[in-house]
Amino acid sequence: MSTPPIDAPPVMNPAPSQTRTLRKLFLTLYLRGRSSRGIRVQTAPKSVGKKLFLALLAYTLFGLFALALINKPVFALAIYAHSMTFVFLGMFISSSAGEVLFNKEEADILMHRPVSTKDLLWSKILVMIQVSLWLAGALNLVPLFVGVYSSDGGFLFPIIHVVSTILEALFSTGFIVLVYQLCLRWFGRERLDSLMTMTQVFVAIGAVLAGQVLPQLVLRYTKSGQLNFRPDTWYIAFFPPGWFAGLDNAIAGHGDHGAWLLAGIGLAATALVLWLAFGKLAHNYETGLQAMGETVSKPRARSSRRWTEILATLPPLKWFSPVSRASFILTTAYLMRDRDVKLRVFPGIAPMLIMPFIFLFQDRQAMEGFGAAFSAGFLATTPLIVLDLLQYSQQWQASDIFRAAPMSGPAQLCNGARWAVLCVLALPAFILTGFIVWVAQRNVSHLLLFLPGLILVPLVSLMPAIMRRGVPLSLPNEEIKAAGRSVKMMGVIIAAGALSLVASFAFKMGWFWWFILAEAAIATPVYFGLLALVLRLKWKPIE
Amino acid sequence: MILLNQLTKRYGQQIAVDALSLEIPAGQIVGFLGPNGAGKSTTLKMLTGMIEPTDGSAKICGFDLRTQPVEVKRNVGFVPESGAVFESLSGLEYLEMIAALYGIPQDAARLRIRQFLTFFDLSFDILTDKLLGAYSKGMRRKVVITAALLHNPHVVFFDEPLDGLDANAAVGFKALIQTLAREGKTIVYSSHNLDVVERVCDRVIIIDKGKLLLDGKPDELVAQHNSGTLEHLFTQLTGGTELERRAEDFAKTFRS
Repeated sequence: MSTPPIDAPPVMNPAPSQTRTLRKLFLTLYLRGRSSRGIRVQTAPKSVGKKLFLALLAYTLFGLFALALINKPVFALAIYAHSMTFVFLGMFISSSAGEVLFNKEEADILMHRPVSTKDLLWSKILVMIQVSLWLAGALNLVPLFVGVYSSDGGFLFPIIHVVSTILEALFSTGFIVLVYQLCLRWFGRERLDSLMTMTQVFVAIGAVLAGQVLPQLVLRYTKSGQLNFRPDTWYIAFFPPGWFAGLDNAIAGHGDHGAWLLAGIGLAATALVLWLAFGKLAHNYETGLQAMGETVSKPRARSSRRWTEILATLPPLKWFSPVSRASFILTTAYLMRDRDVKLRVFPGIAPMLIMPFIFLFQDRQAMEGFGAAFSAGFLATTPLIVLDLLQYSQQWQASDIFRAAPMSGPAQLCNGARWAVLCVLALPAFILTGFIVWVAQRNVSHLLLFLPGLILVPLVSLMPAIMRRGVPLSLPNEEIKAAGRSVKMMGVIIAAGALSLVASFAFKMGWFWWFILAEAAIATPVYFGLLALVLRLKWKPIE
Repeated sequence: MILLNQLTKRYGQQIAVDALSLEIPAGQIVGFLGPNGAGKSTTLKMLTGMIEPTDGSAKICGFDLRTQPVEVKRNVGFVPESGAVFESLSGLEYLEMIAALYGIPQDAARLRIRQFLTFFDLSFDILTDKLLGAYSKGMRRKVVITAALLHNPHVVFFDEPLDGLDANAAVGFKALIQTLAREGKTIVYSSHNLDVVERVCDRVIIIDKGKLLLDGKPDELVAQHNSGTLEHLFTQLTGGTELERRAEDFAKTFRS
């Protein structure tokens, strides 16, 4: 029955090695994105190169913050630089790793080719490390030179900081790969998708948190010019940026026992993570990759399938048009179930959810009530950011059905999406933050400072529709403009800050209720005016 | 050339492919048929090394699927149903990347790519000017077919290869697989287009719920079951009964 082996088709040499080919492929895919529409190849590399250059330039400019730490101790500068690097790398790796490591379509393209999964894994990891190093390099360019002028630094700082930044990039990449492999090992393929999403969201939030908390500590301690790893600052040992800053301090700074201990923890943790991720558990990646090619999945539990439908039958959604209700269910489903959307939305709003907490805990020493007011003002803008992100989907072509349906404009669709974001994200975020305010400040009256933010929510949530950016899942991912979003975020922070400042001032002066009355008097007609405009919106012509 | 022995794939309690055993010699074009969810794509994915069998074994060109997966992959070409490509590469970049994975040098790869372009009546400029994301479905399918044949494999698996191809390209493709079979290559052709299967294939294998239902020459099977056409035979075997009555019931819904 068995057939004798037949020689493989004749192969001529030399051809580029598989690993090199794969590395080139994954780097191109990273730079250009996974898909494209109607882009001519001549313009693609140029625009990508320009985009990359601008991104690196922005990172370099961001590194200018280090100038504020001239003449401060090496540890203070290093901890700040490593914290920022950790945030940006964490965000980058967590948002791209899932797509790079476990792309569903890739199985159909590559898994039947004579390529080993080890080569696949390494090619991807090397590309992630390469891009991480570009970003980290740009971000740390200014700190490298500032370190020379630290109070206890010198010319050794740039060299050791390059080494510690490379170690940090390796640790961050290895850690995320390891988390995926552990998920695969412990939970199997059925839950892979949702676990990967959850992992990425938590890693992104964790990175933001670690990056925000440490600099706050630095600011607090550097006022006295002192920040060291001592028994009373033991918690630094739990933050990875602290380890790598310890390495800088040990070699380029004054190098006390604490610094050497942190450096030792950092080196050991990096070695352990790399050994586990790329050695010991690498075979789990093969399992995961094969799992992506398999199509059978467990049926969803009936209860989890229907809660959105139940929500849509309750007031006020009950009184909406069927189109709005359908849009509500569609948007909620994508917010809760779609990996691509979740990976964009949750890490995208992570800083918005975390930053208010940081202000809250500072609030005890800072201006009374400002933290609570700022938290609410900041959260009020969540619908703006989320609805903007919700426009994009891998399945954007399915939105053709919206235009094919007998509707003159997108108003009902925008309305459903708006309510989905308000019910599923904005409202729970307000409740959670309210609870935190109460726990942190033990002052119920400060909850009143949520009112200025809350009044703005309905108005802000109409903005995307007014800007013709409120139709859910209707644009390809390639049209996402991260730079535009950063500008919006900046605007949002400034506006929220200004409103909070005025509100907390009014609160302090005893004019709070007059302020609320004035805000409501302005916001209400503006809201109804905008609503009328949205209802009259027509479809934007397709180019 | 292809030998399956009790090949099985289970997902928990669900059996996708149930102890499939068969042998396909070189130079044969085999139609691999079954209703949706019958296990066709799972079988093809196992035979191309994309997913691991739960049980049983298979040999392709004498290489064992479990112990020599890379050798198996070197000898097979696969056109998946999804027709997935890396959309941000140009057609040429994509095909050269695939060629490199099989160790084909760039010059040799370009020569072969040009031959396929001539066959599909495409210009080289199209392959270099546009990224794959901008290609029409048919164009993309042509690139996927080229990518499956570029390394001159001994066995080729096609999963709905005509999807998106225009009539001329489809006719050309049918001629191509017949030529490939005459040169000794084994073709496994999975499709729901039974007319094409009936005309092109030397042999038909029908599976349902992961199990082998029928295996034989199309005309002989049709005669044996007195079905008139392969399409009728297929619906008889796979439970497609009373289709006309169901269509009538469906249409009634809209009359009231």
